[in-house]
Amino acid sequence: MYCPKVVVDTYNERLDITSATHIDYAQAIPASYYIDAKECLRLNYETCNLCAQTCTAKAIDFSQKPKKLKLDVGAVVLTPGFGKVDDSVLEKFGYGKYPDVVTSYEFERLTCASGPTEGHVVRLSDHREPKKIAFLQCVGSRDETCGNGYCSTVCCMYALKEASVAKEHDPDLDVTIFFMDVRTQGKGFDEARKRAVEKYGINVVRARVPRVDEIDGRLGLTWVTDDGKSHSGIFDMVVLSVGLDAPEDAQKIADIAKIELNNYEFCQTTPGQPLATSRDGIYVAGAFQGPKDIPESVTQASGVAAMASELLAEGRNTRTVTLTYPDEDTALEAEEPRIGVFVCHCGVNIAGTVDVKAVRDYAGTLPNVVLYEDTLYSCSQDALKTIAGKIKENRLNRVVIAACSPRTHEPLFQETLRSVGLNPALIEMANIRDQCAWVHAQEPEAATEKSKDLVRMAAAKARLLEPLEQPTVDVTPSALVIGGGASGMGAALSIAEQGYKCVLVEKSDKLGGNLARLTWTMDGQDAAKVLKDLTSRVKKNKNIEVLLETEVEAISGYVGNFSTTVSREGKTEIINHGVVVLATGGKEYKPNTYLYGENNRVLTQLELEQKLKRGKSFLKGANNIVMIQCVGSRGDDMSHCSKLCCTQAVKNALKLKEAKPDATVYILYRDIRTFGFYEDLYREARKQGVQFIRYTLDRKPEVLKAGRGIKVRVYDSLIGEDIDIPANLLVLSTGIAPGENEALAKIIKAPLTSDGFFLEAHAKLRPVEVAVDGVYLCGLAHGPKSLEECMAQAKAAAAKAVIPLAKGRVAVAPIVSRVNQDTCIGCGICESLCPFKAIEIVKVGKKRKAQTITASCKGCGICASHCPTLAISMGGFTDDAIMAQIHAFAGDNCGEEA
Amino acid sequence: MSAQMDNNKENAMAQEGFDPRILGFFCHWCCYAAADSAGVSRYQYPPNVRVVRVMCTGRIDTRFVLEAFKCGADGVFTGG
Amino acid sequence: MSQSGAIMVLGGGVAGVQTALDLADLGYYVYLVEKKASIGGVMAQLDKTFPTNDCSL
Repeated sequence: MYCPKVVVDTYNERLDITSATHIDYAQAIPASYYIDAKECLRLNYETCNLCAQTCTAKAIDFSQKPKKLKLDVGAVVLTPGFGKVDDSVLEKFGYGKYPDVVTSYEFERLTCASGPTEGHVVRLSDHREPKKIAFLQCVGSRDETCGNGYCSTVCCMYALKEASVAKEHDPDLDVTIFFMDVRTQGKGFDEARKRAVEKYGINVVRARVPRVDEIDGRLGLTWVTDDGKSHSGIFDMVVLSVGLDAPEDAQKIADIAKIELNNYEFCQTTPGQPLATSRDGIYVAGAFQGPKDIPESVTQASGVAAMASELLAEGRNTRTVTLTYPDEDTALEAEEPRIGVFVCHCGVNIAGTVDVKAVRDYAGTLPNVVLYEDTLYSCSQDALKTIAGKIKENRLNRVVIAACSPRTHEPLFQETLRSVGLNPALIEMANIRDQCAWVHAQEPEAATEKSKDLVRMAAAKARLLEPLEQPTVDVTPSALVIGGGASGMGAALSIAEQGYKCVLVEKSDKLGGNLARLTWTMDGQDAAKVLKDLTSRVKKNKNIEVLLETEVEAISGYVGNFSTTVSREGKTEIINHGVVVLATGGKEYKPNTYLYGENNRVLTQLELEQKLKRGKSFLKGANNIVMIQCVGSRGDDMSHCSKLCCTQAVKNALKLKEAKPDATVYILYRDIRTFGFYEDLYREARKQGVQFIRYTLDRKPEVLKAGRGIKVRVYDSLIGEDIDIPANLLVLSTGIAPGENEALAKIIKAPLTSDGFFLEAHAKLRPVEVAVDGVYLCGLAHGPKSLEECMAQAKAAAAKAVIPLAKGRVAVAPIVSRVNQDTCIGCGICESLCPFKAIEIVKVGKKRKAQTITASCKGCGICASHCPTLAISMGGFTDDAIMAQIHAFAGDNCGEEA
Repeated sequence: MSAQMDNNKENAMAQEGFDPRILGFFCHWCCYAAADSAGVSRYQYPPNVRVVRVMCTGRIDTRFVLEAFKCGADGVFTGG
Repeated sequence: MSQSGAIMVLGGGVAGVQTALDLADLGYYVYLVEKKASIGGVMAQLDKTFPTNDCSL
């Protein structure tokens, strides 16, 4: 605060200023201020020293010198991320010259509520709100002139996001996105794109804008559309969707680590081993491995953890330190409730709608509330520390956090309670963000009233909260992997090499799944070799037991202790295991259109590859070869994009050109989605003369019989009419359909997406976990993807699956039923109703009494709500607590007589 | 999912300006999660429901529902 | 030779943080090395993330 040196704020993309001594953002971890050594007056000119003098904690020590540390490690993981495209590339589009040409990073900060403009999108030239914004895609991507021939993979999606957010702020805003191809190939992305375009009315124009000019303080663009017509338009603001470059210091990292880079200075890897660098013991994950989005980075991150864990299996638990908590202050817990209420602003997420200070003051009027405060971000590290301090200082024994959802944040606050010697069950959250501020954004007064009610109800419940035991149970140290394809084998191998037993169950009579049908991997490797390598490693590994022709019939139990019934050759057997990995795969979509199955000149891409492998004689006389993309995908039968057919088609087109150089290969497409480095193949195909013709959904290609042959009719937008291509061979890019997942989904109680793939627990942060604890997911069962991604995902699932096995014990949720055997009459209603067989009738002395099997109890409470003598209480959800909430809901109407 | 309306209020509902107080019992795993998602997606709905989170709608004792009506709730929403 | 139970993770963006968390859960000591004063990388600069538009922090 006292630092006199003003510097630009790099966290806010140079759109704001800060001082040399600062913190990047409120939730930064670690949450301490730091001194920018390049800017500090004391460090550079030996003047000032103001901060050291004013710091009451005496936390600033200018005598510190850089130190060299030597770390003893068994493996290294490289996750340096990506670099930024050089400004010289952006200058072509007027960046630096015209202030209203901004990068997507800058725009991101402008839309952010905690950003320099508090989320108001303004022009940097005059601080006025723009009315018309243009997004230019592929800036620094798919552009050989700047050395970045690859596709950055994420820009199409983030431009749509930024456009949606901007439209949410200002519905009258006119937003146009200029694309070459709309590349939203990720899981669920195509639907998100459709929703964004339809809901917000975003204009999508297929054209590459070559330059930006200033016209009377606004920005002029010209572009040429598919039909060859040229257009121009005036915009208030232009956002450059800047691609992901290799990290600036990629070469330095490579030199130090002695690893190889690819021609774009990203880390060199192979599809079979996407996370391994060229040097043993050094692994790579995230954008340094190739441009990618958050879910894939997170998947790879878990994947490398598995690789390091395989390498260092013997070193496990030799260097770890255990976190210890202070003993529980049971005396304090037993005292009359002393409640502390903390009302969160969540930046403007809550405070933008709800009058947080009014809610805070209201909390102070409630019984037993001894402390009531508001916090900017309760979940930030420093806020948690403050809350812990206040709990101690005020001897609080119950805490109410009025903020977001307990589903996401309760564990965090429970940790805080534990850190100060309170039982984690002594907290109650009032959800005033997800279920109040966010959904009543237009009604601030009503939202404030609702928040008060929710806080009153939470405080009423908090008064009656009791400490709960934190039971743990032993884990069966083995895994069950369902599905013997590439992903299943990859996961099983990783689990086995991390030192745990694994049963691999496969429905068919051999291992391999879809990999056995593949001829080449995306980089042209022999798929059979990859398969052979995997199967032989699986068969050799003593930790893996393979069960072929085996089906899963039932799974019971819970994380750490599952019991699975499988049937094999008509017999059933039971397998006990601690975790489950779902790797059930997908299948090639089989169309009933385009004469497939009627005419032997019509093949799928996989069938084409198999033929090509056997020799090129079938290409005799095949002068015209047509490929049709999105057969099945992105349409009526399957709404999802199958992600890899574009690359597969381009790869096979190149193979065809190699086998028969004089043949003309046509690819009829909607968007060419050769994301990442696959773009190189696309460019090569264009160089080799492969003809790309774009079609739209309202003018799909037609396949017609023409004598003994076939012809393909397609609308050519450039000449504006239909053209007929006589096709000697027609190859359909049929995409990937989900397997028969419904039965297994029911057995595991795992949800499926509307497309029929398994749904992950969180799209970005828990991409390989299923909502059911102890069940993990990889491969085509999760969604369409390449072999490379399957292998990374298999490793990731293996890492997550080994976590409970390595810990050896799992915590059982403390919300379980407890029977008061004094009042229990042994009627057995509870036993008959329990869906989890978690309550049983036992003999106690001479009487029948109910008893909960704690580890099996899911805490549903059916037993408690049906007990005729009210002998069953639910941890955290007692009758009294719920009644107290009901009475608090009623407020003065009811009183507290009950 | 079931919504039960207090019969006595049926006529009142037709009247303009009726602003019911509704108590919701939401299952932690589904309805409560869905209500969170609605927030994340910024769906807007009337601010009349106050929520009691339960681990399962199976936890809801008839007494809870009756008590809510007794205490003046115009409606009880059970979501699970 | 006894194996080391420690691993260095270079870069504290979302990939590095996730790797470090998983490794710690798997029973290893992790050195998470980051150039900047705080972890989080580019994701910490994002306002919301697609497709659910969750807050990215």
